[in-house]
Amino acid sequence: MQKTESEELVDRIRDSLRTIVDPEMGSNVVDLGLIYDIAVQEGGLARVTMTTTIKGCPATAFLKEAVQNCVWYVPGVEYAEVRLTYEPPWTPEMMLETSIAQ
Amino acid sequence: MFGATLSRWTMSYFAAALIFLAIGEMMMVLGFGYPASSIDAPETLALVHTITLGWLSLLMAGALLQFVPVLVGRPLSFPHLGFPALVLLVVGITSLVLGFASLAGTEGLSPLLLPAGATVTIAGLALLVIVFAATLWHARPLPLPARFVAAGLGSLVIACLLGGTYAFVLSGLADAPGAIDLTLEGVSLHAALGLGGWLSFTTMGVSYRLLTMFMLSPDRERRSSRTVWILGAAALGMMVCIVPMILAGFAGRTTLLVVAALASVLAIGIYLADIVRIYRGRKRRLIELNSRAGIGAFAALIVATVIFVASLISGQIDKGVGPLVYLITFGWLTGMGLAQLYKIVPFITWLECYGPLLGRMPTPRVQDLVVETRAAFWFRLFYLTVAVASVALYLDNAWLFRASSLGQLIAVNALVFEFVATRRLSNVPSNLRLPGGPTGPHLFFPSFQSRRQP
Repeated sequence: MQKTESEELVDRIRDSLRTIVDPEMGSNVVDLGLIYDIAVQEGGLARVTMTTTIKGCPATAFLKEAVQNCVWYVPGVEYAEVRLTYEPPWTPEMMLETSIAQ
Repeated sequence: MFGATLSRWTMSYFAAALIFLAIGEMMMVLGFGYPASSIDAPETLALVHTITLGWLSLLMAGALLQFVPVLVGRPLSFPHLGFPALVLLVVGITSLVLGFASLAGTEGLSPLLLPAGATVTIAGLALLVIVFAATLWHARPLPLPARFVAAGLGSLVIACLLGGTYAFVLSGLADAPGAIDLTLEGVSLHAALGLGGWLSFTTMGVSYRLLTMFMLSPDRERRSSRTVWILGAAALGMMVCIVPMILAGFAGRTTLLVVAALASVLAIGIYLADIVRIYRGRKRRLIELNSRAGIGAFAALIVATVIFVASLISGQIDKGVGPLVYLITFGWLTGMGLAQLYKIVPFITWLECYGPLLGRMPTPRVQDLVVETRAAFWFRLFYLTVAVASVALYLDNAWLFRASSLGQLIAVNALVFEFVATRRLSNVPSNLRLPGGPTGPHLFFPSFQSRRQP
């Protein structure tokens, strides 16, 4: 897979993840800054590193599963792996300005 | 990695708590207990325990079952004890209240209901203490809000032991001199540890976390917040130390009580300054109704603290204790409880109904499960009735108190209808309701099919 194709796939994954709206914040997980990293490897293996606003948030497993399902259905992705991390912990500064007004 | 858990029995605790609140409000409307009776009359004790145990403690327990894991970032220990604890508490508190009614001369009720009710209630609370204490123990070192909960649990244990002693003395089953001394001199400690330690101190700790979380305020442990914990825990510790002093007949108890009172007032002052900082430092410009309605509770805490200090200085604490306890119980604790329920109920309902569908279909926001404009009116009515009832108690006007209690009963019931509407998904736009019909989850029983619940 060429570098440009891989970048395009990352963009498609990011756009697709914008359909997942955090129920409490009312903004999508990308603009909230919950997606720390999206990496695509040979063979369509997509690895997403994400967090939640609060460690132990009761919605954590639902958000993680939603991200995994969403990435899996992006054309070009053969396998999706989602890793949850709290390093660094999420802060409101990670949000896009448009999300704050919500 | 710790993931999501949804407390299975929290909504059942809330439902039971709200029923006890409605019963307590009806007792006040009907003139059962203070101010129609004296402040230490059995009728008043029946009313006080309906509210503090039936409403506030069940509410606190239900909320902690959901939020202690959030505070410490690990799952609850022994979550299966939640249901037996609830059964024991509902049976025990009902029996305890009927026991007080029996002491008040209600025919057909045995006074033994009082010690039996106290025993069963303590058993229920003990199960909860095991759940929370084990969870906190495994999560050491504890973050600051969880340390407030730990101090609150410690206060609960001592308040329960004192209360259990009183129940056996009042029903005539115990006549040991120490138990009688504690009953005569320790009631204010029982009330202070229950209302101040278990209910208020725990609420303060949880509020640091929840308000920061809901308003996106800077989430760091401030030195001032640590000072609040140290002062508050020291004050509660001093009150606990008075118990053996009463038993041993040591002098100096009043001095220790005054020092504890001053430390508490200082802690509340710093806490309120922290809360102002949290509201001002929020990233979320529009604050939701739960945080707005919480402001009324903080205002009640400020007024109560000012009245408390004024009564201490003027030496008229005995005269003002009734209105003061009312303001703390209804303005501060009930106001805060109802305000936070207005957030927790839709949040849990969303998780139950829409959590598994997230990312698979368009889902509503948590805020789509409520209609704030409607509920805001009932919150205003609630706080208005608290203010009028407090004034009525100061003026010793029982009629005005009963009239304002009627207004409060209406406001509380209207809010209960709002919670039911949220559970039924009535406020959700029709295109975002659950597929296959508009029905929501069970009103207050857990969904046994849910795979995510422990």
